[in-house]
Amino acid sequence: MSELLPEFEFVRPKTIEEALEVFKAKPQSRFCAGGTDLVVNMRRGFVDLETLIDLTSIPGLKNIDFDQGGLHIGAGVTLRTLTENSQIATIFPAVAQAAGSIAGPNHRETATAAGNLCLDTRCLYLNQSHWWRKSNDYCLKYKGDICHVAPKGNRCRAAFSGDLAPALLVYDAQVDLIGPEGSRRIPLKALYKEDGADHLSLRTGELLISIFVPSNQARSAYEKIRVRGAIDFPLAGVAVSCEDIDEVTYRFKLAITGTNSMPIVIDVPDLTIENTDPDAYFQAMGKLIQKAVSPQRTTTIAPHYRRLSIAALAARIARGLLL
Amino acid sequence: MKRIISLRLNGKPVEDAVSDNTLLIDYLRDNHQLTGAKKGCDGGECGACSVLVNGRPRLSCITLTASCQGNDIETIEGQAKNGILSALQRAFHENLGAQCGFCTPGMIMVAESLLRRNVNPDENEIRQVLGGNLCRCTGYVKIIKSVRAAARMMETVS
Amino acid sequence: MNSPVKHTVAGKPVPLVDGIEKVTGKAIFTADMETTDCLIGRILRSPVSHGRIIRLDTTQAARLEGVVAIVTGEDCPQTYGVIPVAMNEYPMAREKVRYRGEPLAAVAAVDVKTAEMAIDLITVEIEELPGCYTPRESRAPDAPQLHDNKHGNLDRDVHHKFGDVDAGFAEADLVCEETFSCAEVNHAQMEPHAALADYDPERGRLTLHSVTQVPFYVHLTLAQCLEMDTANIRVIKPFVGGGFGARTETLNFEIITALLARKAGGKIMMKLSREESFLTHRGRPETEVILKIGLTQSGKITAIECETTQSGGAYAGYGLVTILYAGALLHGIYDVANVKYDGYRVYTNTPPCGAMRGHGTVDVRHAFECLLDRMANKLELDPFAVRRSNLIKAPTFTANELMINSYGLDECLDKVEKASGWQTRKNSLKPGHGLGMACSHYVSGAAKPVHWTGEPHAVVSMKLDFDGSITVLTGASDIGQGSSTIVAQAAAEVLGIDLSRIRVIANDSAITPKDNGSYSSRVTFMVGNAAIEAAQAMRKKLITAAAKKLEVHPDEIDCEGETFFVSGSSQSELSFHDVAIAALAQEGTINVKGTFSTPVEAQGGKQRGGAVGSTMGFSYAAQVVEVKVDVDTGQIKIEKVWSALDCGFAINPLAVEGQIEGSVWMGMGQAMSERTHFIDGMHTHANFLEYGFPTIMESPHIDVQIVESIDPLGPFGAKEAGEGALSGFPPALVNAVADAIGLEANFLPLTPDRVLEALIKFRRSARRREAIA
Repeated sequence: MSELLPEFEFVRPKTIEEALEVFKAKPQSRFCAGGTDLVVNMRRGFVDLETLIDLTSIPGLKNIDFDQGGLHIGAGVTLRTLTENSQIATIFPAVAQAAGSIAGPNHRETATAAGNLCLDTRCLYLNQSHWWRKSNDYCLKYKGDICHVAPKGNRCRAAFSGDLAPALLVYDAQVDLIGPEGSRRIPLKALYKEDGADHLSLRTGELLISIFVPSNQARSAYEKIRVRGAIDFPLAGVAVSCEDIDEVTYRFKLAITGTNSMPIVIDVPDLTIENTDPDAYFQAMGKLIQKAVSPQRTTTIAPHYRRLSIAALAARIARGLLL
Repeated sequence: MKRIISLRLNGKPVEDAVSDNTLLIDYLRDNHQLTGAKKGCDGGECGACSVLVNGRPRLSCITLTASCQGNDIETIEGQAKNGILSALQRAFHENLGAQCGFCTPGMIMVAESLLRRNVNPDENEIRQVLGGNLCRCTGYVKIIKSVRAAARMMETVS
Repeated sequence: MNSPVKHTVAGKPVPLVDGIEKVTGKAIFTADMETTDCLIGRILRSPVSHGRIIRLDTTQAARLEGVVAIVTGEDCPQTYGVIPVAMNEYPMAREKVRYRGEPLAAVAAVDVKTAEMAIDLITVEIEELPGCYTPRESRAPDAPQLHDNKHGNLDRDVHHKFGDVDAGFAEADLVCEETFSCAEVNHAQMEPHAALADYDPERGRLTLHSVTQVPFYVHLTLAQCLEMDTANIRVIKPFVGGGFGARTETLNFEIITALLARKAGGKIMMKLSREESFLTHRGRPETEVILKIGLTQSGKITAIECETTQSGGAYAGYGLVTILYAGALLHGIYDVANVKYDGYRVYTNTPPCGAMRGHGTVDVRHAFECLLDRMANKLELDPFAVRRSNLIKAPTFTANELMINSYGLDECLDKVEKASGWQTRKNSLKPGHGLGMACSHYVSGAAKPVHWTGEPHAVVSMKLDFDGSITVLTGASDIGQGSSTIVAQAAAEVLGIDLSRIRVIANDSAITPKDNGSYSSRVTFMVGNAAIEAAQAMRKKLITAAAKKLEVHPDEIDCEGETFFVSGSSQSELSFHDVAIAALAQEGTINVKGTFSTPVEAQGGKQRGGAVGSTMGFSYAAQVVEVKVDVDTGQIKIEKVWSALDCGFAINPLAVEGQIEGSVWMGMGQAMSERTHFIDGMHTHANFLEYGFPTIMESPHIDVQIVESIDPLGPFGAKEAGEGALSGFPPALVNAVADAIGLEANFLPLTPDRVLEALIKFRRSARRREAIA
């Protein structure tokens, strides 16, 4: 029931190097951009930090660039900017749609692309007040010994709830990381791990600085299941891309959020109109999705529902992307 | 840890010593008695705390004051000029866009940012922009009506 | 119906008299009050939902520098509760805790940080007892008992029977019975709870500012719990950010803040978080309704049998009133002679329920309007036609002796039927689209209040002084519904003066007359009438003074606007100021008052609990809801709503529209997404993300039409407007979904997961039926 934030030092470096230096000197640090996730979690009392490294003054992190290779999105590009960029909306519609569906418009003013990719996982037993968690003996993700969602399991089941990741995953996006051990570019897919308490493969002190989306001709769309028309996190969300291989063959890529501790990519066979009945194909696609996802009791909306609805939604979106 | 923060607050330069962990809403309310922005939730869920930072909406209940160094901050208290209501304030008043009035300051500030860049928004745009501002009294019907009325007022004036 | 009367101020859509403050940020709510000289209050809450307190040790907390006062259950041995016969709650638990989040202790400290540290330093040892979270668990033979004197955890059972129910069912051509379950909901008013208490130990006086809808009840409860003379207490209600019933009884934090202030000998600001506001609760209980209706072939209702079980939470609160309302308001909307009602209010180890907009009626009305629609369907009757077959003819008394003097439901039906294009569109919508309708009603204030002392229900004072302005003093709590504006309009109308000449001062027990508060939609009717009477008394004084000045008999004085003159002559005119000065010359400052008392015949039947549901007049509403259902995801989109409400007379049509829109929409929230939820008594939805009331994105346009049946007792004919339309939405929605996809849902809310699950079952049984056929 705290309205006070814990005490910490606010640092606003001007360069990436400086940010990394601060982290090196003060390991109890957290990087922060828009703060729409981190500050809320701090108010809820499950973020321990001594230093908050604000990245918003670092030039160059807020650019969107198209070149021959594809699209470069700076880590600090706000979700509003992503939503309003007409080129992105045309070329990578799922990305713009996903960005525009995140939280509420006021959040999107400051929330950033990298922030949503690195969004903390969420759970009914975690996103509560200090008093609430304390009176429930905490949980595996923070201070506790068991996961209340799956008490017999040995890992945290908190759900990854970022919307942007699936939209970028269907385009095989890559992310540029920089840290104490230097820079590296990894597939976005490799950023994630299926563990709610430790879902990012970022190394200590490592920072996501940009996103690269290779050029792609595929059509795409993103939609999510939620109870309300705004603000809500996805109960499940799906991005679908569709590429025309030849006149009768379509290649679909699917990525899903909200159902697991990481966004998951689902491989589906190509659809060749000549030898496959589309109805049967999309029905099979739905079944495949139902099998691939594993929603847990991380919200009070039943896992079974999230499985069924996202499968149906995905198949419908995919069908809609056929020409 | 405290630091000196200087910013423009409703058009006036101000300078204050502020702790690093002070939220913008607490700074506005405690240091400047600007109590228009409200805490309606436990963090970022209702929009009642919305103010403008550099002309754009900002949830002051999840914004660190320290991050606003040098920024231009506007609150509901700065909207009326010499006591004369802004177009949105007048429209909300005349069209009953405010019942209990608790969400109103945040609602007006976010709508203000919309009307500054689009003097003639359609209903869908209004809904999109106010999607993060909850109201429990009006069912939003008269809020939409108020924003449209304000837009018409502004159009007439310009 | 009376012939229309010409009004000048009443009936005009004027903005709220306190609206400027709200749009400029100048409106000071409790949490906005100056706190520089305040101590900060914080509450320690129970971590378990049922248990015996073994030890509560505050020594360490007391030693912390900056801690000024600590209070625990030991500091208040008095129980309190809004119903005099059912006061079983302590502001802080003593001996036992009965829900997770129940206050155990509180601290006052120099700042927030110290207060929070002190809370953490209080050690509590509780012997945990098994908890009951549903009526089924509570009513089980071996269930743990919440209250020693309440065997079987039954707070109250009600058994009412009117007419000959068996004969009624025998007469019916179709009898159907179904069970409906409705989730618990919370008011979720935008303003979290807060209180500011200031105790002056030298004078032994306490001043409390609070977010209350009922300053008078708070005043009485403080006196009782702090064992103080009411004369030494002053309660002030500043701007309040919505209530919807959350604040219609004294709440624990108000008493706790006062206890802290007295112990600290100073001023305490207590601001509750959103989570704590949810835990304080007093919302609409989880309810199961088993309903049986008998209908003739032509759609006439022959009998109703209804069993309602409410999961009331850990303490009595308003419980007995809620369970009585649920039965009483089976009456009063349709002409029904034979009604049997059995109500059970059950204790559970969850935060206490209370009154919420549409108090008592919503879930039962939901069941009724759903079942009636389904039966009409079976009899191949139009839903409008079946309702028209059961209309009441006013004036009349219902089977349970509720007085009805005005009735505009027929006109409401006509209006929404036409506006929605029902007759042409009903059977021609695209697949997945549907139209549904329902009716509802609500009381305009209880004819007998919970604190029955015999004094008038409402008093309004009015002052005229040298400046020529009229000050209206009222205890009516404006919580955003616009009661101060209604009082001002009523006064201006009777006095024939401009609204700008009137100032309304409200809700300061040291200044304004006592008022029972803003609940059960009593204010327009009762306070409106009292304001009219006060204005009439003032007007009489002015006319007398004008007559004396113009040297004629008072009967010869006429006035138009603010001008007084001798009837039929335009030679000597007096301005309002002239008359005011003349009147003051007689007696100095003029103070008058008006009162309102309810007639005995309005006070309900003689049966036990018969006063509940009794009122001077009911509002009536009809609405049509259009939906689109996504059968793959279970998501429902509300396309549009058409609503019509008979409010007797709209003193302020703008405010009436606002009330109808707000209540229809709140019904939508309950129908679509809202519910509290507990896991072992832990409230998992105590925030705006999980509780999820609708955003602007999915909130439809609501078409509103006002029907004016002119109630003979209402102020200018007015009745209530703020609650009646709410309970029509959920059944209209469920009926629309049935129209769209055939699914007859027996649960609220219709969240997409529950809709899809029901749809899967529905399809399965449809396939089975097909296979058999």
